[in-house]
Amino acid sequence: MPDDRPIFVYEYPSLEVAAETVKAATSERRAFIVVGNCWVEYRGRASSTLKKGERIFIVKEDGSVLIHRSKGYEPVNWQPSGSIFYTSIKGNVLTVKAVRRAPRESIVINFDKVYLLTVLNLIDEGEFCLYASEEDMQKAILIQPEIVEEGLKLITYEKKVEPGFIDVYGVDKKGRMVVIEIKRKTAGKDAVLQLARYVDSVKGIVNRETRGIIVAPQLAKGAQKLLVTLGLDFKQLDPRKCAEIVRKTETRKLEDFYL
Amino acid sequence: MKYRHKKNGELDLFKIRMSDAKLLRDAVTAISTLIDEGTFVIGPDGIKLRAMDPSRVAMVDFAMQKTTFDEYASDQETKICLNLGELLKLLKRAGKDEAVELYLDEGTGQFVITIRGKYIRTFRMPTLEASEEEQGLPKITFNAKVTLTTDGLRQSLEDVALVSDHVRIETDGEKLAMNAKGDIMGANIELKKGSDALLSVEATEPSKSTFPLSYLSEIVKAAVATSDIVTLEFSNDMPIRLDFKQTYDGTLVYYLAPRIEVE
Repeated sequence: MPDDRPIFVYEYPSLEVAAETVKAATSERRAFIVVGNCWVEYRGRASSTLKKGERIFIVKEDGSVLIHRSKGYEPVNWQPSGSIFYTSIKGNVLTVKAVRRAPRESIVINFDKVYLLTVLNLIDEGEFCLYASEEDMQKAILIQPEIVEEGLKLITYEKKVEPGFIDVYGVDKKGRMVVIEIKRKTAGKDAVLQLARYVDSVKGIVNRETRGIIVAPQLAKGAQKLLVTLGLDFKQLDPRKCAEIVRKTETRKLEDFYL
Repeated sequence: MKYRHKKNGELDLFKIRMSDAKLLRDAVTAISTLIDEGTFVIGPDGIKLRAMDPSRVAMVDFAMQKTTFDEYASDQETKICLNLGELLKLLKRAGKDEAVELYLDEGTGQFVITIRGKYIRTFRMPTLEASEEEQGLPKITFNAKVTLTTDGLRQSLEDVALVSDHVRIETDGEKLAMNAKGDIMGANIELKKGSDALLSVEATEPSKSTFPLSYLSEIVKAAVATSDIVTLEFSNDMPIRLDFKQTYDGTLVYYLAPRIEVE
């Protein structure tokens, strides 16, 4: 079994060796990659069958599962972290079953040929900095509230209310309270309902007309009607534009001087 | 809410009277230049408020000791969060030499302002959810300290605002210089020791730092009504502290974060 080297490689292992190694890797919670001829059954959020073909099967340390074909950036099958693995051999087939409890879902991947098996022992502690994050969008709005709406004046951000934290909180030019919910990606019904709860909560506190605005690059098709029904607004805002505003602003925050 | 309600309800949490409402009005004006909602802490020694502006670039630190008031009774600390714009509207209704009284109606949770002049006016306004967090002060070692007239500072900033949206403030311990560079124009202002506007200047090392005029001008404009003398403290590329000397027993201090100088 692999030692502490970053990678341990088996070229064209027998199914028995592959099964033994996969069992050891899953029990030690190691990441590993199997390349071979396989077919896949999935049951859960939907169900699917993937017929025989040569593919790349990846399992990560947290139990995430990805099956990639040799084309396309998205996996053809995948399962989020927390999967439990059962590995077995029957006849000339190596079967790895990955089961998640909530939501209940499982992937069964069967190999009749394994070309490559590599067990990984990777160290990765570097931070990932997203070019345009939700935080950048929030910062940009704080710096230039007019990118949301002319005459908008801000009161605070991350304001705590009963259901959670309001991203940005302010007053519009007509003196109405404004609750802003920021989404970096397409805002769906969830975001609209979340905003509606915040607006309700604020109304209960301030006893004043209160508006809600979803700020996102776009609104999901199904969310438009809900937004209108609830009397909320949507403002299209490009996260990259926000990142530019944040970068251009050279004024430091006073917070940076609290050691 | 826990700050406002007492079980027996026999005593008012506080009762405050000021015979000239102007002091309070000017103070609230000065605070409201940075924030729209503010949590006042009304304690046994006086009223204070410390808060950062929503974009966390500037801070106001305000205190008015109880000796400033004609009547002041508060045996415990009460936190009251008010919309400053609304508060200011009401305070502006008090004319010259009209007295203002403040107290909290514990039953309704409303803040009550009574103006006593030719006739008695009573306004009620809602209190908002008070902020629980204790705002600390930034930790800065200042190397330069300059005292000048508030009007001198205001005029200098008006000058530099003609050419740029930010100003570099610097001193070598002998003079205070304010420099602004716009796209096509520039401005340079010098206040030397002995000039009318400059009262004192000292520096342990030459210091300079650049600040956004959008904040600095607004702060000075708002504070000018409350104060004739201002002390600036700064260091290289650190926040500036502006201490506006008040005519009453109290403080009005602002902190403003610097701009990073891009060469």
